[in-house]
Formats: sequence, structure tokens, C-alpha cells
Amino acid sequence: MSAREGIPAAARRGTLQAGTALAPVAYETSTVQVFRYSAATWNTHRIHYDREYALAEGYPDVLVQSHLHGAFLARYATGWVGEEGRLTELALRVRRYAVAGETLTVSGVVTAVSRLARERAEVTLSLAETRACDGETCVTGEARIELPADWLAEMPAGGEGAE
Amino acid sequence: MAIDDDLLAGLRAQIGVGHVEELGEISAAMIARYAAAIGDGDQLYTDQAYARSRGYADVVAPPNLLAAVINWGPGAPYERLREDGTEADTHLPGVPAQGVRVMGGGEEMTFRRPVVAGTVVVRSTELLDVTQRDSSQGPMLVVRYRDDYRDREDGSALLESVRTVLLR
Repeated sequence: MSAREGIPAAARRGTLQAGTALAPVAYETSTVQVFRYSAATWNTHRIHYDREYALAEGYPDVLVQSHLHGAFLARYATGWVGEEGRLTELALRVRRYAVAGETLTVSGVVTAVSRLARERAEVTLSLAETRACDGETCVTGEARIELPADWLAEMPAGGEGAE
Repeated sequence: MAIDDDLLAGLRAQIGVGHVEELGEISAAMIARYAAAIGDGDQLYTDQAYARSRGYADVVAPPNLLAAVINWGPGAPYERLREDGTEADTHLPGVPAQGVRVMGGGEEMTFRRPVVAGTVVVRSTELLDVTQRDSSQGPMLVVRYRDDYRDREDGSALLESVRTVLLR
């Protein structure tokens, strides 16, 4: 597996099936990161850099952008398979805020696998991102990844992937 | 000003009205900065020679870069920014500059193909629906709109995104 940080390492070729859990990965955020993310995306919303404004809005500090949550989910969803895999869909729903400096832990479970043509397959992952301060879920999501079929667990002869 | 019937009616009048905009060229610098901002050191995002060795024409953008960029232009003059620092953006015309809070609620993205540096992107936007809900903090509007991002060169689809935005 890759030695890169920020990607789950639990999945192994030939093992994926509905119910397979990927190792959780923790993403440390910071005020500097949230600022750079706003700068890189030209996001001028004060909630991400103006602490007084965030306090006046009822939050304990500046907030992590919803797309930064999305970037963590996208990275998590495909990191384990590397360049062999391709993220085809990502849906996410922001349920609670996270403040800059929060540690966000993403976990994922395979909910479905299906075989496609030409030795390819599709895996659906259910994703959740929790914040360290109280363990509450900030974001839930679902990802679809297209990858070589040999990542899936062996099927009984004539069997089809769970869908 | 808060959430009221006028705002709801004004937004609903725009449902189905398309809006097309050329966003410009995705540069290698933009991709590298985005990758640095999210803390991802993948060589595909920063190393052109490596990206080419993997079959791409140039460095590749992280999946949600296109959807994440809030403003593709220079930005409005300061006096035209809303009190929350955002500008009256093309997705929500008619939303007043003060008194209405805009929050992201979620997004569904379909990635059609990787976006490489040098791609000139055209986005078409359509307001899908607006619904009113009561929240613990008063009335709230749930607005959904769809963005289609295409390669100007050949019109091929890059990314489709349906975003949910909450106004209260």
C-alpha cells in the first residue's frame, strides 16, 4: 500500500464485498488550512476567517468549509485504491459544523459491489466524518468508485455481486 | 429582511432559467494550490512529468476542485459584498445583501472525467427547486441548483453537481 498519509490502508485486493470496513483516517484541520482553502477557492465568507463574526453567529470559532469536508471524503474514498480506481460519484450532506483546528475522522463501509464489463467493477461506500471534540457526525456521504474487478472478493461460480 | 413570501416567489420565478458562464482555464498553479490547501501530496496534482507518465495530458485536479471554487472572477467591489463577506452570486440572484444567511447543506457530484491543467471550463447553472421549511431558528428556504461543467474545447462533460443551499 502507499505510504502516503491521509488514506485508508485496510482494503486489500481480492477482499472487497458488501460489509467490508475501511480503516478510519483522521484529518487534522487548522486555522491556516481553512484560510488557505478559502484563498484557493476565492471564498470570501467571513464565517471561515473572521472569528468575531463566527462567535456572533453562535459558533465557537471559524468553520471548516463544506467543500473542504468534501475534499476529505473524496480523498478517503479513493486513496486506498490509488490510481487504479476512479471516483465517479460523491454525495455528501453536512449535518453539523466543525471548527478550524478540529480533528475530523472519516470512516467508510462498502455497501455494494457490482461487476462491470471488461474486468471492471463498481464499489459503493457509505462514508461518515466525525469531529473529535464530542464524536458527533459532521458529514455523511456516499461514494461510487470504479476499479479493477480483482479488488472484489471471489464470487461463487455464476454468482453476481451484491447490489 | 428575512425569509418571506416575496423572497420565495422571487427565487421560484427563476426555476428552470439556465445561465451559462465561461469560467476560464484551470491552471497548474490553481491545481497545486488546491492540493496544498487540502493537504494532499499526490504527485498527480503537482508533477507534470509524473502525470504524463500516467497517461494524462498534464497535472490533474483533485476531484471536487471545480465544485469548490466559489468565485471564478475577481470578486465584487467591497461595497457590493454582503454582510457575511460573500457577493450576491449568480446562483442566488435576488437574495438580499443583508438579513439572510446562506449555508451549504450538501452536494451530489458526478465526475465524468478527470480535469487536467489547461482545460477551459464552461458551466451551466439551473435552479431546480425551492422549498420552505420551519427550523428551530425560524423559517428556512432550501434551494437546490444544478451545475454542469464542460470542457469548452469539445463540449464533453467534466462534472455535474447538484447543490443544496439553506437560507435563513
